Amino acid sequence: MSSASHKAESPEYPPLAIESVSKHFGGITAVDDVSLSADAGEVVGVIGPNGSGKSTLFSLAAGGQKPDTGKIRLQGIDVTGWPTWKIARTGISRTFQIPSLFLNMTVRDNLLAAAVEGDWKRARERMESTLEMLEISHVVDNLASELSGGQQKLVEFGRVCVRDPKVILLDEVTAGVHPNIRQIILDAIQRLRKTGITFLVIEHDMEMVKEICDRLMVMDQGKVVAEGDFDTIASDSKVQQAYLGRT
Amino acid sequence: MASKPVLTPKLIVRALLIGAVVIALTVLPAFIDSYTLRIATGALMWAGLACAWNIVGGYAGYISFGHSAFFGIGAYTTAILMQSNIGASFFVTLLPAIILSIAVAVAIGGPTMRLRGAYFAIATWAFAEMLLQLATVLDFTGGTAGLSLPAYLNEFFFYYTMLIASAASFIGVWLLIERSRFGFRIKALRDDEPAAESLGIRTNLVKVQSFALSAAITALFGSIYAYWTTYIDPYSVMGPEITDQMVVMVLLGGLGTVWGPALGGVLLWITNRYIWSTFGDTVIYLPILGVIIALVVLFLPNGLISLIVGRQRGKELISRILGKL
Repeated sequence: MSSASHKAESPEYPPLAIESVSKHFGGITAVDDVSLSADAGEVVGVIGPNGSGKSTLFSLAAGGQKPDTGKIRLQGIDVTGWPTWKIARTGISRTFQIPSLFLNMTVRDNLLAAAVEGDWKRARERMESTLEMLEISHVVDNLASELSGGQQKLVEFGRVCVRDPKVILLDEVTAGVHPNIRQIILDAIQRLRKTGITFLVIEHDMEMVKEICDRLMVMDQGKVVAEGDFDTIASDSKVQQAYLGRT
Repeated sequence: MASKPVLTPKLIVRALLIGAVVIALTVLPAFIDSYTLRIATGALMWAGLACAWNIVGGYAGYISFGHSAFFGIGAYTTAILMQSNIGASFFVTLLPAIILSIAVAVAIGGPTMRLRGAYFAIATWAFAEMLLQLATVLDFTGGTAGLSLPAYLNEFFFYYTMLIASAASFIGVWLLIERSRFGFRIKALRDDEPAAESLGIRTNLVKVQSFALSAAITALFGSIYAYWTTYIDPYSVMGPEITDQMVVMVLLGGLGTVWGPALGGVLLWITNRYIWSTFGDTVIYLPILGVIIALVVLFLPNGLISLIVGRQRGKELISRILGKL
């Protein structure tokens, strides 16, 4: 699916490795020496209060921002500083906090647009299976601008799936959606992880985090303040102080 | 990729309509006088030019005010190569005109298409103005006196040449943008550039490709126009109203659609000629263009083509593109 070099691609390398990454905006440290490694099929939750640096970390991993220090590796390939399109072609795909659909295109074209840099011959087949998985076949000819907020979240998630990536970054993909749509997304994540796709998930929905995440990383003021499984995190005093205690 | 089922009733009707239009346009010269034939030839040219501008303005979402430069590049390349000291035949001049326009588009589009919104529009306008001023002072362009070309007074030849060029432009754009991966790329970057990049689309490259394609078609029509009129000067082939007309024709017909620019081009050109024949000059035409822009943006944001085709595209499209200005 990629035109980028995959020389280093090997099972011995994790699909995604973030190594001591920092990012500053003027005098503000948005991400401070954060490291994270995720294995194939793993679902890692990234949680923390608003402004803790979660979305910036996603942008650093996906190429929207360049880290000031540290490395980003995908399948062992150092992609630090690469342009977004090139990183995407190595097999990483993301959703945005606010859905970034192609509003003047239909749902069908949104999904097909996601496949243009991949295996184009199988694009329609992958689109059909994604439509079915996310239960949005009935709106396939609707313009994206005509969809409800929840449907837009589904289409954006579908666009990510059509690309057949190795790593998926989901930025609050279930925020504000109907419980039925939330369940469709959860089922899809569970199904896709079994195929070896790695997920990094930013979420505020603790029920969802508990249900799908193998482990969590908690950020506060750009730093990682705790890591571990849900129960460990839930009982961590730093986390309670930084995040859970504020709920 | 597997293709969709063919020969649906909708497709058959559309094919019949297109076939009827092609036949009508082919036999039209046999039924009209010389004056009307010139108007029809101009209409075909403007339809093709609107189609060309629509690639970068409507599909890529970048408003260019520099397309008159490419029209001029085509016209001057043909005129210079057909001067007696070189003596190239008309058809031989087309390829250099297209290649030169592509080279200039890549050189200009590379840096300027990293700019967004009004900055790109201003940069392209400045580029066109620069070329216009250069053409008025350079020797090989003939300066303000312009250049004369060998006369070929066969109106049928120019009608059919414009028809072929226009048809080729529309078919090419239809195949490239409505039926290929390139079309998905260009429309995706128009709607949301960061999202397009996150899908692996190399947006800067696609933008320059679209600009170059648009420039090449514009230059082609500039070449034909120069031979048709047998005389060009800087303002007749590089004047800003050339781009202005292209923009308004696309807005009127339907921004980012295949057939809208053709409709807008033909209607506005006929209006232009009607005003000219009625009032004797076209000064009044400019305020009319302004009024049309205002009315279309306010009341018909999807253009006239939306009245025919019916399907409303996203209301965001025109505001998204024009909102960048």
